[in-house]
Amino acid sequence: MRKKFELRKTFGSFFTNYLVLVAIVLLVLVTMIVEPKFLSSGNLTNIMRQFGPLSMVALGMTFVIIGGFIDLSVAGTFSLVAVVTVSLIDPIGQVPALIAGLLLGALCGFFNSVLILTAGALTQAEALFITFGMSLVYGAFALITTGGAVLNMRDITSSISVFEGIGQGTVGIFTVSFLIFLVCLILLYFFQSKTVMGRAINLTGGNKTAARLAGIPVDVSIMVIYTLSGLMAALGAVNQFARVTTAAPVMGKGFETNAILAVVVGGTSLKGGKGSVLRTVLGTLLIILMSNCLNLLGVTPYMQNVTKGGILVLAIWLDNRKPL
Amino acid sequence: MNVKSFGITLGKFASKQKALVAILAMLVMMLFFPTNFYTSYNLIDMLNSSSVLMILAFGVTITVISGGCDLSIGGVMVMSGIIAIKLMEFMNMWIAIVIAVIFGAVIGFINGFLVVHQKTEPFIITLGMGMTLTGLAQHLTDARPVTGSDPNFMMISNGRIILSFTNLVIIMLVVLLITHVIMRYTQFGRSCYAIGGDYDVARYSGINVILIKWGAFVICGITAAIAGVLLSSKLNSGSSIYGETTALVVNCAVVVGGVSFAGGVGGIFQAALGLLVFGVLENSMNMLGVDSYIQILTKGIVIVAIIWLDSFSRKRKRERV
Repeated sequence: MRKKFELRKTFGSFFTNYLVLVAIVLLVLVTMIVEPKFLSSGNLTNIMRQFGPLSMVALGMTFVIIGGFIDLSVAGTFSLVAVVTVSLIDPIGQVPALIAGLLLGALCGFFNSVLILTAGALTQAEALFITFGMSLVYGAFALITTGGAVLNMRDITSSISVFEGIGQGTVGIFTVSFLIFLVCLILLYFFQSKTVMGRAINLTGGNKTAARLAGIPVDVSIMVIYTLSGLMAALGAVNQFARVTTAAPVMGKGFETNAILAVVVGGTSLKGGKGSVLRTVLGTLLIILMSNCLNLLGVTPYMQNVTKGGILVLAIWLDNRKPL
Repeated sequence: MNVKSFGITLGKFASKQKALVAILAMLVMMLFFPTNFYTSYNLIDMLNSSSVLMILAFGVTITVISGGCDLSIGGVMVMSGIIAIKLMEFMNMWIAIVIAVIFGAVIGFINGFLVVHQKTEPFIITLGMGMTLTGLAQHLTDARPVTGSDPNFMMISNGRIILSFTNLVIIMLVVLLITHVIMRYTQFGRSCYAIGGDYDVARYSGINVILIKWGAFVICGITAAIAGVLLSSKLNSGSSIYGETTALVVNCAVVVGGVSFAGGVGGIFQAALGLLVFGVLENSMNMLGVDSYIQILTKGIVIVAIIWLDSFSRKRKRERV
């Protein structure tokens, strides 16, 4: 009797902890039965390609949310990095342009952290509004850079082999963007679980005052999380424009909410201090698979927004009901 | 000495009323440019164009003062506008409008249930709710604008009963007055301040914290629905794209006006001032013929600057204690 109860309890806690995994398996099974085309290599490659940009932005966002903050500026950073990188390819060559783009992303993130630190913002809400304002600023810079026009990679006269490789290349069965994602994941997982800084970020998110009193470098942690978020947004932007071969000054729109969605649905708590990059990968997978499966099942994109929002609300509600 | 103390008082006033100072600075600046800014037509138009956002802001202010926040207002706004326009085809216009407002109240009720009763994080749960509602609005209209069938519908916002003010401005002033009276002179309003100030202290003093905070969300839903109906009436159309950035802009503007996001501080008039900052800013930049991208840039810088100053002054206060 007791054993049965225990079993039910473990099953229950497994179910609440790995709800995302259950949802992914169910989604894949249903789609496979209704639409066998789901498993075609073309569709799987397509999923891998779509996976790149969002997963990278979401990985960066994970650290910000674990640190107890939030970053809405990734939308602006994403657009700015895309248009600046593409417009720099001709003047300075492709590799320097790539490096300049990534540095620009990191710089944008760093600037956010400087604003937040100098203002002494401690709460998520303050960070939300400051980064929202900065998102407008970066987005406006992106619009000013191109004059509102969409940049096409075909118009570039010099070589763009690196970006073509990122966008279209494959190694074995994996796309290059997926491999970049795997490298990022391994590095960030190592960073989170094995380094002092990674632990410091977790403690910062748990309780800032306690962390400060315990000698944790809170200010440095905040700088690191925002810089990382900016850098990952830049990497996502590079992947995105390499895939679609155009860079629009508004292309980052929606990435911030989708990234937050991926992180939260994955199970990283918005209260900060808890979470993992692996969970974010699951959350991103669910979101990408959901839009892919719903497309295959013939659901309109408008209805997909409804399901996305509904899942977000449901995920947070369930997460909140989880016993600590 | 008198001059010095006057200077100190002025400095204190300026640091407290950042929004008012920003508005005054812009108004003075506009005196030096030969534009049509100071014409009664333009000033009324400026009020008219920020009225819808102001009505949204008054509801949001109540939730913010009681320690929450509501980012679903954009979704509620577009949905209620579309509901009013769609239902008008089969029934009396006024009944359709009442149903749209009830819809807003229901969404506010659900938000309140999730945030207050189930104790979830307000801004992310309302963000999700806003996303759902925007998607629903897109689904209902196929992402195309829908147009009202009753010609009287347009007159609700655009008619001019009193002087040359549009009804929209008059309704905005009425909502302003009602919400102000609720927040200042009723038990409900005072309880909201108490809850925002300190949730636990308010609960131990015998305030029904859950019910009051829940009520704040319902009021916010109602004002958002009213704003949605008025916006649809002003443009005689409802579309899912109207509310895209509304929620964040309005919440920002409320904070810019001096309603603290920590809760318990501020008032309806401050929220109105915060919205006016953006109204005046947009209008004067349009008058000066500023490029639209530069306008977005300026808006972003103003948001960051004022919220930075707000946080910074709180940090200084913390350090002094």
